[in-house]
Amino acid sequence: MADVVPAEEFVELAGGRVHLLRGGAGEPVLFLHAAGGAGVWHPFHQLLAEAGFTVLAPDHPGFGKSDDFPAVEGIDDLVYHYLDVLDALGLGRPHVVGGSFGGWIAAELAVHSPHRVGSLTLLSAAGLRIPEHPVTDLFLLPQDKLVVMLFHDPPPAPPPPPPGAKPDLDAIIAAYREATSLARFCWVPFLSDPKLERRLGRIAAPTLVVAPADDRLIPVEHARRYAARIPGADYAEVPDCGHAMYVERPAEFASIVVRHLSEHSLSAHPRTAESGASR
Amino acid sequence: MKFSFFHLMPYPYLPDDFDERYASSALTYPNANFSPELGSALYARYLDELEYADKLGFDGVAVNEHHQSAYGLMPSPNLMAAALTRRTSRARIMVLGNAIGIRGNPLRVAEEVAMLDLMSGGRVDSGFVRGIGWEYFAHSVNPVKSRSRFNEAHDLIIKAWTSPEMFSWYGENYEYRYVNLWPRPVQRPHPPIYIPGAGSTETMRFCAERKYTYMSVYAPTRIVRRWFDGYRDAAAELGYQPDPERIAFSVPIYVADTDEKAHAEARPAIEWLYRKGLKQTPEMVTPPGYMSPGSLRGVLASGMRPLGGFSYDDLLAQGQAVVGSPASVAERLGTLYAELGGFGQLIGLFAIGTSTHEQVMRSAELFATEVMPVLRPLGVMTASPQATA
Repeated sequence: MADVVPAEEFVELAGGRVHLLRGGAGEPVLFLHAAGGAGVWHPFHQLLAEAGFTVLAPDHPGFGKSDDFPAVEGIDDLVYHYLDVLDALGLGRPHVVGGSFGGWIAAELAVHSPHRVGSLTLLSAAGLRIPEHPVTDLFLLPQDKLVVMLFHDPPPAPPPPPPGAKPDLDAIIAAYREATSLARFCWVPFLSDPKLERRLGRIAAPTLVVAPADDRLIPVEHARRYAARIPGADYAEVPDCGHAMYVERPAEFASIVVRHLSEHSLSAHPRTAESGASR
Repeated sequence: MKFSFFHLMPYPYLPDDFDERYASSALTYPNANFSPELGSALYARYLDELEYADKLGFDGVAVNEHHQSAYGLMPSPNLMAAALTRRTSRARIMVLGNAIGIRGNPLRVAEEVAMLDLMSGGRVDSGFVRGIGWEYFAHSVNPVKSRSRFNEAHDLIIKAWTSPEMFSWYGENYEYRYVNLWPRPVQRPHPPIYIPGAGSTETMRFCAERKYTYMSVYAPTRIVRRWFDGYRDAAAELGYQPDPERIAFSVPIYVADTDEKAHAEARPAIEWLYRKGLKQTPEMVTPPGYMSPGSLRGVLASGMRPLGGFSYDDLLAQGQAVVGSPASVAERLGTLYAELGGFGQLIGLFAIGTSTHEQVMRSAELFATEVMPVLRPLGVMTASPQATA
């Protein structure tokens, strides 16, 4: 399985096209990306695929190569958007793994449609409003501070551009577009749905909550609260790791997630008939 | 040419280590640095200055709206305008403007401006602004919705002022089942509208379609020229030549008896305005969605630099401040008039940063008595066949 090469696909929905990376063979894993990292096949994805799963990684509306979907204005719309994506992909009840912003969408999806989520994995998910442990305002953070904030052990700063170098306008515009999409969904309430916490009891899927121990963006109390409120949820912390999670420690995250997915194989579940990729 | 005295009402008492310690004078600059006693004295002083401008013969006195900032101490421009209705008698009272992009309830703005119009005997000009970037953080309003909220609030306010009957409003951002404005404004059909532009072609077209006054914000002359031309082009496409009075050039102005004295006194005040008052991070200037990707590309490609990066001499050379003796200021404004392709209103920022009350009063007086008469004939609509189109 070490030769997994992800395929690039577009899913046509009524509101536009969703860009998707697909790799591996096995039970389907819908991976919902964080505010950063859209359209990138990370080593973490590769490790999940190599462990025997079909990883399906779509770009959120207004991210990466997906269309903007202007009618998707908030977290409720995102839930319906991903129900449409599941339907279009023929996924009845896949594993759902979400990181940070994507973890919030995963949790809301599992609250809204418990029967559509085979297993749930939340990687330092946003979504809860815990005023005594506020999420850092990433919209106000300068780019260099954001990088430092994301890692336990930040990578060295890139060398300054040579004098007179032209800024990469396309890259700046692309980043601004993604920040705009994120703000559209979560400027206020900030990265949260105040009603989510009291609804978490609806989640039926076997759930794993993972937190990087040194998360300076979303305090670890958020993951602990998710684990406390979701019935039967397991909880794990990854030491010496920041909010960049599977970017900073891909092997550790992959190993923890693969164990959860394997322990809760879709075929072992009584509702096998609905599961799996039907295409 | 019409002249107005525009007041930002800055809080100039920043600490000596401001530059090193603080990223901005707004949003996150702690209000522990604000002295209510000094602030109270400032309000009295600043209202005196606006009232003096009325006596000096300025055509308008102008206030604006800013939040959580030492840059400007007017969260509510309408309160200041209300005070001015009772202490001025001739000048237009220009609210430039209400930040309807961040207001929660635009109907309240329609009500307050209508009140001001009645209280002032029809002397109110009503500016509408989106609110600047940091204010979307400060008032927790989604910047992605900025333009939509601005446009909808504008449409609602105009309809509330002008509709001959009660109506209901169902919009993307606002819903009202009963819009039935009491009081209605005294100016018909409604108070004149002013809109600041900063390069958006949508705004130029929006103003040209409605014959609103299009006013510039701080920018180098070559860029303001592009904006004014954009407005004139938009009007031309609609088949008319705009009255110069619909184009307003806004600039900090400082006049003293001699050039030497003027520069010595203005330099620290201008530097305060651009380097401290307007000090902001890029994240505060353009929060996500505040600009469209296309507009952002235009701004980046135009090579506009942060205002704080310019020296005093750069700012003077670029037409972002006008300083000197009365003769020098008149001459410089005449040159800028030509370089900008003409304008019919000059909105002067006369109370600049750290300038003292005495300096501001003297500057306004010299401007009114010695500069205005020289420039007065400029920027007036000349009769022409096109003008009536």
